Amino acid sequence: MSAGVTTQLELRGVTKRFGGVAAVDGVTFEVGKGEIVGIIGPNGAGKTTLLNCISGLHRLDGGDIRWQGASIAGMAPHRIAKLGIGRTFQIVRPFGSMTVRENAAVGALFGSAAGRRGPKEAFEMADQVLDLVGLKAKADHPVSALTIPDRKRLEVARAVATRPHLLLLDEVMAGLNNVEIDEALEMVRAVHATGVTVLLIEHVMRVIIGVCRRAVVLDFGQVLAQGEPEVVLRDERVIQAYLGERYAKRLKS
Amino acid sequence: MADFVQLVILGLLAGGVYVAVGVGFGLVWGVLNIVNLAHGALVIIGSYITWQLFTTLHLDPFLTLPVDAVALFVLGYALQRGVINRIIRAPLLFTFLLTFGLNLVAINVLLFIFGSDFRSVTPAYSGQGLEFGSVVIPYVPLISLGVAILLSAALAFILNRTRIGLAINAIAADRDAAQLVGIDLRHAYAVTFGLGAACAGVAGGLIAMSQAITPTAGEPYTLQAFVVVILGGLGRVSATVVGGLAFGLVEVFAQSIPGSGSVFANAIAFGLMVLVLVTRPQGLLGRLR
Amino acid sequence: MFLILGAILAAYALLAPLTSLDAAQSANVPLLADRLWFRIATIIAMFIVMATAWNIIGGITGYAAFGNVAFFGIGAYTTGMLIAKAKWPFLVALPFAPLVSAGFAALVGLPLLRLRGHYFAVASLGVGVAVGELVQNIDYGGQPLFGGASGLFLPIYAIDNRGLFFFYLMVAAATIAIAVTWWVLRSRFGYGLIAIRENEEAAAVLGVNTTVYKVAAFALSAALTGLAGGIFSQWNVFINQDNTFPIDYNVQMILMALLGGTGTVFGPAVGAVLLQLLIQFLGGSLPISFDIPFVSADARPILAQVILGLLLVGVVIFVPRGVIDFFGGRSRLSLSYLRRSLRETSL
Repeated sequence: MSAGVTTQLELRGVTKRFGGVAAVDGVTFEVGKGEIVGIIGPNGAGKTTLLNCISGLHRLDGGDIRWQGASIAGMAPHRIAKLGIGRTFQIVRPFGSMTVRENAAVGALFGSAAGRRGPKEAFEMADQVLDLVGLKAKADHPVSALTIPDRKRLEVARAVATRPHLLLLDEVMAGLNNVEIDEALEMVRAVHATGVTVLLIEHVMRVIIGVCRRAVVLDFGQVLAQGEPEVVLRDERVIQAYLGERYAKRLKS
Repeated sequence: MADFVQLVILGLLAGGVYVAVGVGFGLVWGVLNIVNLAHGALVIIGSYITWQLFTTLHLDPFLTLPVDAVALFVLGYALQRGVINRIIRAPLLFTFLLTFGLNLVAINVLLFIFGSDFRSVTPAYSGQGLEFGSVVIPYVPLISLGVAILLSAALAFILNRTRIGLAINAIAADRDAAQLVGIDLRHAYAVTFGLGAACAGVAGGLIAMSQAITPTAGEPYTLQAFVVVILGGLGRVSATVVGGLAFGLVEVFAQSIPGSGSVFANAIAFGLMVLVLVTRPQGLLGRLR
Repeated sequence: MFLILGAILAAYALLAPLTSLDAAQSANVPLLADRLWFRIATIIAMFIVMATAWNIIGGITGYAAFGNVAFFGIGAYTTGMLIAKAKWPFLVALPFAPLVSAGFAALVGLPLLRLRGHYFAVASLGVGVAVGELVQNIDYGGQPLFGGASGLFLPIYAIDNRGLFFFYLMVAAATIAIAVTWWVLRSRFGYGLIAIRENEEAAAVLGVNTTVYKVAAFALSAALTGLAGGIFSQWNVFINQDNTFPIDYNVQMILMALLGGTGTVFGPAVGAVLLQLLIQFLGGSLPISFDIPFVSADARPILAQVILGLLLVGVVIFVPRGVIDFFGGRSRLSLSYLRRSLRETSL
């Protein structure tokens, strides 16, 4: 982590088991305020499980998670949301019977700065957020009418509407074509520019290289490497984890 | 001490009926994800078939059980194929309501045909039993328990060793994948429900011998089947067998407490269920889903 | 068009009973001046309350409770006991019905609402059945605590035009229930509930305190249902397990909400009116009488139940989104709508 950046999120030895298998095993790293950090790793490495642990959907089996110095391990998901940690889901989960605006408004109604806010103000906030992600024109559309890229935008908008300090993005780029990825990248940059720290899981490498200052590599639930994306991606162990030993040897030679 | 042993024996014997009631219910729930509120009605239809055969043809009631099984299999297959399949992909509230509606229709049709008089099936040997000193093991419940175990074993055999059984297992594991390998879902679903109904029919036959029957007598068994499956654990026939026996034991011991009596049957069942769901939701033998 | 028709009918139903007052007798307005219709109209209003109340936990929040009749019975017995045993006046005892029901719901809801889907539905059914059983059979010092099998008798409420009074009281309760639903659907609370229904985990990570919200919806639903029960106890003067905890009511409430349209403000009310009229008609209690071939008078209640069951099956299969959706925007019954519903849900 660069100097002069305050630590916002701290994971220490985070462990989560399912049955006998440790999906997340002793993961330790930090995220600083204002950073964009990427989490990468082959499928099944425990990335989504890690996000679930941070957002409170899973109980930790070991270790601790600290947010701005205080432990949040074991807190209920809604309390973690109110502390300012927002997240999106890999397979989007829109509220099907509501319009786009209403979906975003739910975030504004219950998020970290909700206070006594009522539906009317929430709608105004929702409109602002929809503008940020590029969905303003479709605010009154039912969710069922949205394309996949738009649904992803909505997922992000809803999370941003909670006014998070830290946003956890779970494979926002999955299923998008190149043009859509560029647009989504712009969206992520725009969100980050409003002062939100971003921690994102991604498989699309040009996103990681393009927008992340740091990357953490997970494999079998453990941290394999961390550092600048270019450096990390050239690490032999990382290549091996993704492509297997034989391919890694081939690349070397 | 003899009293205690007697209670345990009575409990296990009572459990026989609950096992029979539970395995069919659990199968339909586990594979089709349908909580069949008409299960009690299917049971009582079986009771009436047994009664009718006993009364008009003077067949030994235990010999009527295969007829119950076949008749109810056919009924169940038709119901699933014709009616229930139409809402199988709808939210579960709808299957609840649908099966409740079928329950209502079935009970009232029975009322129309047979009236509300209580009937009973009493074979010649019904009051008698094996005696070991002061402990009595009555014949009818003993044979019923045997039948119930046999039924469960047969069901397990069908599920694990026959082609259709393997198809049903495949569907329970992954419906879409099962379709991709060519399993005819409609037929397999209907067979599953038919098997569940067949078990209910056999249970009904057993019940006809242990209590007086009237069209609404099957109602409590639906809730009890639910408790038995939760108690034992959803997913395996053997788990339901354990659940049924355990439930029988609980019921007999609860009724022997002076003052409480059988009026609290439903309250006991419900209380037990909440206890299990809160402390050990996967049941005695089940695996956490 | 239907809206106007409905409004006219509702206005007539609400105002016509006033003609039973002696002063207006000479006007001789048909139908609703008849005491029989009062009774039926009051029952309809009662079901409007119950269906609308169920809609809050079942339709809006998505937790299909199958035992809400328990709260009706609890409300009825709370008021009943306060009047019969503690000798409280009716209007003082009545507010305690929703209070006690809500309290019970909050207590029972905490463990119950942790269950999902099937488990919650059957567990709540179990509550409904068990509470009824307990109330009827609990003894205290050798005597049945709540009147036992022989039930509880309340003193007749001394007021002129009793039928009219209870009718309007029940209508007031129905109005409260509908108003509450309307408010909920526009409030932050309502958005939270709908979010829980659509995707509970997503709601949680957005900051919705799902436990508190679910329990609150459950308690609110219970309070309204209990209110109906409280009014019923004094109106009917006699209560026992059969008329305050009938398992039938659970399904009727749900069917009414479903028929009219779950999750809407007026849906359950529309469903309640339609279904209850049908039930009364089949049961032969309406002054319009007719003979059904092959079916004796004794068999009529049985036939009524059969038709109810078939109706249930039919509605679930063909009109799952309710009458309001069915008629919304269309002026003709459409076969393609039915076919489309079928295709969405069948194998």
